[in-house]
Amino acid sequence: MPLSPDEIERYKRQIMIADWGTPGQERLRAASVFIAGAGGLGSPVSMYLTAAGVGTIRICDCGEPELSNLNRQLLHDDTRIGTNKALSARQTLERINPHVNVIALPETITDRGIAGLAGDATLIIDCLDNFETRHVLNRYAVSRHIPLVHGAIHGLSGQLSVFHSPRTPCLACIFPPGVPKEIFPVAGFTPGVIGLLQATETVKIILGLGAPLYGTLLMWDGAEADFQKIPVCRSPACPVCGQQPSDRAI
Amino acid sequence: MDTQLSEQERERYHRQMIFPGWGTEAQAKIKKSTVFIAGAGGLGSPVSMYLAVAGVGTLRICDCGSPELSNLNRQILHDDSRIGINKALSARQTLERLNPDIRIEARTDTISDDTVAGIVGNVDLIMDCLDNFDTRHVLNRYGLQENIPLIHGGVFGMRGQMTFIHPPETPCLWCIQPGSPPPVLFPIVGATAGVIGSLQALEALKYLSGVGTVLKSSLLVWDGARVDFMLLPQQKNPGCPVCGDDAA
Repeated sequence: MPLSPDEIERYKRQIMIADWGTPGQERLRAASVFIAGAGGLGSPVSMYLTAAGVGTIRICDCGEPELSNLNRQLLHDDTRIGTNKALSARQTLERINPHVNVIALPETITDRGIAGLAGDATLIIDCLDNFETRHVLNRYAVSRHIPLVHGAIHGLSGQLSVFHSPRTPCLACIFPPGVPKEIFPVAGFTPGVIGLLQATETVKIILGLGAPLYGTLLMWDGAEADFQKIPVCRSPACPVCGQQPSDRAI
Repeated sequence: MDTQLSEQERERYHRQMIFPGWGTEAQAKIKKSTVFIAGAGGLGSPVSMYLAVAGVGTLRICDCGSPELSNLNRQILHDDSRIGINKALSARQTLERLNPDIRIEARTDTISDDTVAGIVGNVDLIMDCLDNFDTRHVLNRYGLQENIPLIHGGVFGMRGQMTFIHPPETPCLWCIQPGSPPPVLFPIVGATAGVIGSLQALEALKYLSGVGTVLKSSLLVWDGARVDFMLLPQQKNPGCPVCGDDAA
């Protein structure tokens, strides 16, 4: 089905981008993404992907907004304290763009449950706050050969990379399991910057625009406004992707 | 406004107050601050939303336009139900929902050399979230005259730029971008405005709180297609008609 006149008007400023056009907008509308986490990173990621017109947003969080989340989690507000974050996210996202199909998943992400949660998503966005669950996403993304857009923050710093096994290393090649959970300082704009970079990478991957961050870890230090790009390599001994053939066509 | 932090505020801002060097003191400084946001569009959305949730005491947000359907791919302050009302008034509704502990003032006038003093008034910081250089230069002149720092942001397509301007310590906006390119309807990706806007909010909070290093005399240029960030050093122009030695 072609875009309606209403959709063309709504998205016209991005349809003007070279190599975007109405075919690109239709590709976005046909896409389904799985957003793991509706917190500091999940807020800008989901809000901007919804505004941009990604057709299906599957957003998952098992927690509830707390007052101490509200210095950064724009999806929620004081009235949502006590409701599930994924359900709260759906309310906000449906207001931002009524054309988007928002599926709220108020569930815990596990190796057993993830296939059902991710459903038809062809891309996973890591908006989590702990590495244990990130590795669940990674194992699923490697087994299905779908891209994982990784983002993480700590204090005024953050990092970003796009994993797409076997073309790139996987998360476990770079961050072996075992990083402990902790309560770390975080202000809104830090996940804002990283989350918006994740949203940009997601759109680029869906549309085939520009050069996504494959095989590169972007490290950002907000205190000094310093960005560094670090090339990253597959680990042949990686327990997750080490057995994947390296020349598999994607 | 009471500059002491309530129990509720301490809980709301807890996760940022545990930054080394932030604490109660920096949070109280932020609460005492008034920030003027020029523009409630693609840049003004993330700037105002992140400054609101971080607890800037007073946000004065100005826009003379109304949301249109073609704004909604990126202007997350607004939605379909706000089409036709003024953008600053729409912004106030969204921001009051995000943080009931701060004050939001909406300004619906057009900014010009004649009106700027009455619209901006006495503020600690000006955020440039505009889409044209004519009005940016009005803010630049006013900031210089009143000694108020200006955080410039601009986007085009998948590229954007940002810098902190506070002469005489830094160049002024005219030194960096003299004159005004002709206004055109340019392509824009929502997330690009989001990236630049969040970086502007970060610089604002570093300046207001005194935590971290503010990006002075350096233009941050971002290319989203290649994920490239560049810091371009900027110098004062001694012959600048706005901030130079012979300026009126």
